[in-house]
Amino acid sequence: MRTGKLKSNEEPKEDPYPESMRESIKKVEQTREERIGKEVDRMNPDEREQVLNKYHPDYREEGMRGLDAGPNQGDQMPLELADLLEAYPAVDPSEVDLTKVDYEVDVLVIGGGGAGTVAALWAIKEGIDPSDILIATKLRHGDANSMMAQGGIQAADREVDSPKAHFLDIVGGGHFANKPELARALAKDAPGILKWHEDLGVMYDKNEDGSMKTLHGGGTSRKRLHSAKDYTGMELMRAIRDEARNQEINVEEFSPAVELLTDSDGTVTGALLYNMETEQYYVVRAKSIVMATGGFGRLHIQEFPTTNHYGATADGLVMSYRAGANLLDMDSVQYHPTGAAFPEQIVGLLVTEKVRGSGAIPVNRDGEAFVFNLEPRDVEAGALIRECYGRDMGVETPTGMKGVWLDTPMIDMIHGEGTFEENLAYIYRLYTRFGIDPTEDPLLVFPTLHYQNGGIEIDDEGRTAVEGLFAGGEVEGGVHGKNRLMGNSLLDYNVFGKRAGISAAKRAKETELGDLTLEHARRYIEELEKAGVDEERRSPMLIPEYRGEEALSRSIDII
Amino acid sequence: MNEKTEVETVEIFIMGKRYEVPKGLTIMKAMEYSGYQYVRGVGCRGGFCGACATIYRLEGDYKLHTDLACQTTVQDGMYLTQLPFTPAGREQYDLEELEVDNNPLLDLYPELARCVSCNTCSKSCPQDLEVMDFVNEAIRGNIKEVAELSFDCIQCGLCAARCPAEIPHHHVAQLARRIYGRYQAPESEHLEKRVKEIANGQFDDELEELVNLPKEELEERYENREIEE
Amino acid sequence: MKEVAYYPGCSLKDTAKGFEDSAIQVSSDLGVRLKEIDRWNCCGTVYSLTDDNLMKQLGPIRNMIRARDEGFDQLYTLCSMCDNTLKRSNYLIQNDDDKRDKINNFMDQENDYSGEIEVKHYLQLLRDELGWERVREQVSNPLEGINVAPYYGCMLTRPKEIGLADPHNPTVFDELIESLGGTPVDFPYESECCGSYNTVDNQEVVLEKTRTITGGATRSGADLIITACPLCQFNLDTRQAELLKATPNHDPVPVIYFTQLMAVAFDRPRVNKFEEHAIDPRKVLKIENKVASKR
Repeated sequence: MRTGKLKSNEEPKEDPYPESMRESIKKVEQTREERIGKEVDRMNPDEREQVLNKYHPDYREEGMRGLDAGPNQGDQMPLELADLLEAYPAVDPSEVDLTKVDYEVDVLVIGGGGAGTVAALWAIKEGIDPSDILIATKLRHGDANSMMAQGGIQAADREVDSPKAHFLDIVGGGHFANKPELARALAKDAPGILKWHEDLGVMYDKNEDGSMKTLHGGGTSRKRLHSAKDYTGMELMRAIRDEARNQEINVEEFSPAVELLTDSDGTVTGALLYNMETEQYYVVRAKSIVMATGGFGRLHIQEFPTTNHYGATADGLVMSYRAGANLLDMDSVQYHPTGAAFPEQIVGLLVTEKVRGSGAIPVNRDGEAFVFNLEPRDVEAGALIRECYGRDMGVETPTGMKGVWLDTPMIDMIHGEGTFEENLAYIYRLYTRFGIDPTEDPLLVFPTLHYQNGGIEIDDEGRTAVEGLFAGGEVEGGVHGKNRLMGNSLLDYNVFGKRAGISAAKRAKETELGDLTLEHARRYIEELEKAGVDEERRSPMLIPEYRGEEALSRSIDII
Repeated sequence: MNEKTEVETVEIFIMGKRYEVPKGLTIMKAMEYSGYQYVRGVGCRGGFCGACATIYRLEGDYKLHTDLACQTTVQDGMYLTQLPFTPAGREQYDLEELEVDNNPLLDLYPELARCVSCNTCSKSCPQDLEVMDFVNEAIRGNIKEVAELSFDCIQCGLCAARCPAEIPHHHVAQLARRIYGRYQAPESEHLEKRVKEIANGQFDDELEELVNLPKEELEERYENREIEE
Repeated sequence: MKEVAYYPGCSLKDTAKGFEDSAIQVSSDLGVRLKEIDRWNCCGTVYSLTDDNLMKQLGPIRNMIRARDEGFDQLYTLCSMCDNTLKRSNYLIQNDDDKRDKINNFMDQENDYSGEIEVKHYLQLLRDELGWERVREQVSNPLEGINVAPYYGCMLTRPKEIGLADPHNPTVFDELIESLGGTPVDFPYESECCGSYNTVDNQEVVLEKTRTITGGATRSGADLIITACPLCQFNLDTRQAELLKATPNHDPVPVIYFTQLMAVAFDRPRVNKFEEHAIDPRKVLKIENKVASKR
């Protein structure tokens, strides 16, 4: 069979695992045979709560503080985020000339990832001319977490499934904190989104009769996870981006928005972009604005490594908060249970849940299974942390990081040789680059900062509390409550990117361009001054600081 | 790092300038360790986005190596730089209007026929794809083969930058995948059926009921929901 | 069933599909399986005559490497252009050590190659391995009374180092036609160039050549022309249709591949895709109403 890969004739390499880890692998090998076909029981609600309370980072009070300014005063948030929200605008409002307008558009989309691109495409379908749309993005078009999603996208499209079952999984996984109408929109739109993808030419994994290949994800009651190998996010993003290029939508790359602009009523009327290369500002006047800047993984909350792309720095939350948007569930952060913990070069990178969905289970240093392999993510992450730090049954790496084994050789044993390489091509490549063959040896994993569960509050049309401002994708909150299930983030950016794009287009057709001021920023500065916020603190962050010692992997000291 | 141990270092040359960095870093982290802050040439940092396409040479080695900065460990004597951009022409098209039976790949990208099968593209691919093979399949109009062989392409553009025939391989491959997905992959009947059911409002009532259920009842429904084996 | 490694080339997967399909069918009738090698690339189309640009040799040579790596020691072609290019590159690497080393050096991802594959045209398989008697045995619809002009073009016989027949007096097609029960006609333009790639941007040249060659064939009494070259077939067939528009009194003559002629004689006419030809050969082959094949 042709795999699309060159055969390499490399000589056998030295053992990638140090001796101490190899000792433990031997124990894992001894128990492997008897573990196949056996499952650890799912936890009951009490056990789940216990694990979360004691071991999940969200429940660690020292990591949080209450806000003193803005619409969410008093709400608890991670320290790293609170410091960005309560920071002075990076641009001094008195130094900006808003009289010279560089762009006048119907719809400005801030963020060139999945949600932003989907919003732009649906704004066109809603009747906006592509030349009246501008996407402003910090890095390149498509450089986003959307590109990185591996496992898949949920949609209740099989006969045995229903949007109702999907809805229950969403709200149960989210600990019933979700806004129910948003969860409904997510479940109900899902099959239509997949159909749209098919029309765009996305290559989903299918059986020969055309039926979708689906798997279970953590917390799903049906096999509902659709994938494109383990490059699902990439396959979607590149097809969607390709279509945006065919539609000739204007994209300003390396020009993030750094501040929204508002009129005297507080309606959002534009944005200030910053060309990071020439250090020039652009003034954009727009009838509607879609915020689609994604998440905040690069804030390294509680010092965790992250799966997120370089630009995931909460810029959209910061700008929108200053303009009066309300934030939901910001105390809830998703740590993906299985981030790479070894080798050092890839610490924090995602090992998709599809690996567990395909039959690999987490085991401790003695090769014992200790948790059902597909609990909702927060519970699974809590259980992994408990195994390492509560029970001291983890495996330590040479740099002092702890983790548990994800027993990947089980996959080919269960499904036949070649399954791993074909269906998990990314993971296979990721590890073989560094000398580890996941079909031969297990992978060491530990939870990694993955997703911003909360965000800007929206309604089911993608509207925020601020007139003229819409939001879609990871930047918005309420859809997933306190915990997002696997396969619902790709779905989220499609569903709410679409809804926000359509709503923004509708508004643009009914309104005129407004006045441009930075009044809201001035008012917020006053609030910050009253609260006594450190004047040195500025935001948005735009780019995380990794120079010098920061480049080295961060230690994890969570318990 | 929990404990400071004696760190082994390697000597690298960033755009010709010498730096000493800890052994075992990726090229990306090594440049950051040396004091560089990326704006271009960086993206997902996980091997998906192709933004950090990089070229380097090793002391005493005539080869120009290509790889991803976020997925490659620095070596002693590495001469490296970061590519800010890899230009390559992309053709506009309308997926719905393409004449898919008439080899649209060669039609939109006639430069495909300039391939001399030198294999430089495959050699430059950081994903180790058989790029030359899918270019040849493209010449023959075998869209499915192009789609499958190119599936793991991260569109970094290194192949296009190195190709003596000046083919934009990654754009050709994107076109092939979309044509395959749109026109040649078998259709999913259960998906079509479900989309129609939803459009007909078949699930509206039960969803409306769930949306309005008190939390306790919702919790009960959740705990007792049927789980597919 | 005997299995031989087979290199199709791009045209046989596209415009010359009838050539490949008929070849596969008649081979199977003769007890030979054409095993398409798993990986192959364009042959290079035209053998590069520049002495110092070895880049153009990589494509053809890589195909020989693929065949060798699959465990074969011979590689069969059908398209006479591919045959010519592969054979000449192979000849180069067998006879020029310096260039061989340079090429191997560049192709550092492949194992070294020094010409160990023998490239052969399908006609050589018929003539030298199976023999005409074996062909004759398979004929169930002898081409009695059909006059066939053998058209060799440039590539099959030249240069003499790699040609499969005497460039001045080739007979392999004549022998084939006779084996199939037909009558070869003596035809002055059997090795005349068809105009080749002038068909892209200098069609006048090709039209003139087509007039000369097809006219010469009909004047010699031919009912149809056979060829082994997809470009010759394309030029003489499609350009003849244009010639007819300009010169209504032109006497059209069908141009088909030699394997298609074999398929007709083996009573396998349907694999030929004759419906795609500009000048329909079915009438002169007396298979106009042939629907069912006896096998």
